[in-house]
Amino acid sequence: MKYQSQKIALAYFLVAMALFAVQVTMGLVLGWIYVDGNFLTEVLPFNVARMLHTNSLIVWLLLGFFGAAYYLIPEETEREIHSSKLAYLQLAIFVLGTAGVVVTYFFNLFEGNFLLGREGREFLEQPRWVKAGIVVAALIFLYNVSMTVLAGKKTAITNILLLGLWGLALLFLFAFVNPSNLALDKMYWWYVVHLWVEGTWELVMASILAFLMLKLTGVDREVVEKWLYVIAALALFSGILGTGHHYYWIGTPGYWQWIGSIFSSLEVVPFFAMMSFAFVMVWKGRRDHPNKAALLWSLGCATLAFFGAGVWGFLHTLHGVNYYSHGTQITAAHGHLAFYGAYVCLNLAIISYAMPHLKGRDPYNQVLNMASFWLMSGGVVFMTFTLTFAGTVQTHLQRVNGEAFMDVQDQLWVFYAMRFGSGVAVVLGALLFIYAILVPRREVVTPGPLEKGRLDHDADHVAAE
Amino acid sequence: MTDQATDRPSALDQLPGELMMWVLIVSELLVFGAGLAAFLAVRITDPAGFAEAQGHLHRAGAGVNTIVLVTSGWLAALAVQAAEAGRPGRLRALVAGAIALGAVFLVLKGAEYADLAHAGITFETHAFFTFSYLLTGFHAAHVMAGMILLAVVAVPASPRAVETGAAFWHMVDLVWVLLFPVVYLL
Amino acid sequence: MTVTRAWLALLLLSAASTGLAASGAHGAVFVVLVLSLAGAKAHVILSRYLGLSAAPPIRAGFDLALGVVLVLFAVLAIAA
Ligand code: HEM
Ligand code: HEM
Ligand SMILES: [Fe+2]
Repeated sequence: MKYQSQKIALAYFLVAMALFAVQVTMGLVLGWIYVDGNFLTEVLPFNVARMLHTNSLIVWLLLGFFGAAYYLIPEETEREIHSSKLAYLQLAIFVLGTAGVVVTYFFNLFEGNFLLGREGREFLEQPRWVKAGIVVAALIFLYNVSMTVLAGKKTAITNILLLGLWGLALLFLFAFVNPSNLALDKMYWWYVVHLWVEGTWELVMASILAFLMLKLTGVDREVVEKWLYVIAALALFSGILGTGHHYYWIGTPGYWQWIGSIFSSLEVVPFFAMMSFAFVMVWKGRRDHPNKAALLWSLGCATLAFFGAGVWGFLHTLHGVNYYSHGTQITAAHGHLAFYGAYVCLNLAIISYAMPHLKGRDPYNQVLNMASFWLMSGGVVFMTFTLTFAGTVQTHLQRVNGEAFMDVQDQLWVFYAMRFGSGVAVVLGALLFIYAILVPRREVVTPGPLEKGRLDHDADHVAAE
Repeated sequence: MTDQATDRPSALDQLPGELMMWVLIVSELLVFGAGLAAFLAVRITDPAGFAEAQGHLHRAGAGVNTIVLVTSGWLAALAVQAAEAGRPGRLRALVAGAIALGAVFLVLKGAEYADLAHAGITFETHAFFTFSYLLTGFHAAHVMAGMILLAVVAVPASPRAVETGAAFWHMVDLVWVLLFPVVYLL
Repeated sequence: MTVTRAWLALLLLSAASTGLAASGAHGAVFVVLVLSLAGAKAHVILSRYLGLSAAPPIRAGFDLALGVVLVLFAVLAIAA
């Protein structure tokens, strides 16, 4: 850690990981409700658990992004963060808001209240006062990082990162636009939801990946920057009008079917480019960085994002297909793998990379960390498969044969049981990750013959711990 | 960088002009290409309806517009040469000409839209019009953007800027020569 | 070929398209001819206006992609 203020990231990452644990645990509760519909109906109804699952996901991912920004901006700009105090204030506002959200969802004391009541739009259920708090916190954040960047060195990584962060904060303002006309409501809702994950967040992802590649592979900055700009341009070109893939059946004009199909098909390209970028950098790079776990998460991120967002997205993005698959378990399969690959893995990659620096020690527990990657990723991939099968069967029975929704759900029980099983693996993987990051240890494994040979003969090679 | 993969000059380095503009050009070609292919695929379901609908377009006007655009592209290409030769006066005159022809294109296009609107034809009238409005409308929007871009790059008048602006303009040309036969002639 | 010669070529090709359309021809031959003319125009624009003649391998890539797309268009148009 070269700059004192990078320490801010530590606090953000800790809160993020705590919420991560809560998020996946809530997922498990949801998964069990799918298996046994009466589970916790009185204490924790499905809709409340679902809100907690998705909201905590978004909040911890955002906190991770903020932490990443506070970590990498000083290194890129070669400046301390403008104000550490503001950064902690921002975090405090987020924590307060999160607590407010949990209380509101759980006890629902102010239903219908303009300021205090929950709003009931998926992902944006937060009461208005929390939304306002988020805006204030975002403003503080943007002020803080922008001042830092303005005073320091400007690099492609900070440019694209700031573009993404400004964009995501500005788009959040559409969360306040909530017309009573349901079609219009949905139209604006996607401005936040879609233009986040398939626009501005992609820029954040590309720039953080670029930073990691720069550090982990030692490839020239110029090469990394060229890729970064191309990826950012591709993401915006395809992603903005790609919003049309949510405007097929909500009452918007018919031409959206073609705009959405064509542009969103192109959204595969930036994800493919990010995957190529990561692998080409590793292949070209000559640095043998000791932090193998961070590299694994980075490559896993680029790869699983390509499959989750790119392949599973394309699967149902053409309007002819979406006509049948809309809102089935296929959507859930895609939502899980895309969010996990692109944004969960991204955060875990930067956390794996930054934590040893933040704590001023060698990257310990690399093997445990890498084991958690395989456990968690294996779980999510398996979950994606079960949900994809469930969705295919559901589409056939419900949309083609016209059977009733709940009759179909009954027949999908076996898939939901398997999904729960994979969910257990994910939760265990998450806990293992947090343990590996937080609890220091030495050497978990002794190097085998192959590794020993490399250690003895290759001066650059550093042991994994 | 010592490894050979980076020492070999990649084909990408030969690309004339700005890399990002080429990324945009290829992206636009993909979008319009996919749109035209979808148009032709849907046409198979109703050839007679498409032929009937096509009769409402201004075929001759669109033919003239091809001439207008390629001529405008020629002026833009000459403008790049003027910029490289360090003749800002000539460059600006040529760019002004290119922009003016862009305006002519839009006027002819506007006349067609006006007639269609007058006949009560909208996006929803027939699948043909959904596509023709979408494709030519997107294209016309690019013509407008290109006119603005050309005006902007003529201010600093550096060869690099003019080349980039002109490349966008050529892309608009390129799209039109592919779009015109598919939408208006086939 | 200078850009001016390219422009003249484009005018000629456009005239040919117009003539073809005015002749009232139709059917598969018409489709192939019209699309070939479009391909030729695109080739000229890419090589001369956009300067790909200076980068033959890249131009070859564009030509190939263009060829594939035009064949697809022709197949779809003739199928109708
Ligand atoms: C890091 C891991 C996870 C991520 C990124 C994630 C993400 C998401 C997202 C984005 C949604 C909303 C999906 C939509 O709107 O279609 C969702 C819903 C859900 N998730 Fe997760 N989740 C994760 C882990 C889990 C786990 C471990 C389980 C447990 C088995 C689980 C079970 C569910 C269920 C049952 C729903 C509700 C689906 C519905 O409403 O039908 N999730 N999750
Ligand atoms: C990292 C990027 C992405 C993430 C995190 C993501 C996540 C999601 C989520 C959570 C949903 C469900 C929303 C809801 O509650 O209704 C969704 C829907 C959808 N996504 Fe993505 N997505 C990503 C990228 C993509 C891409 C690249 C494509 C297309 C190629 C795509 C195509 C779709 C489609 C078509 C739907 C609507 C499904 C339906 O009609 O039910 N997504 N996405
Ligand atoms: Fe989307």
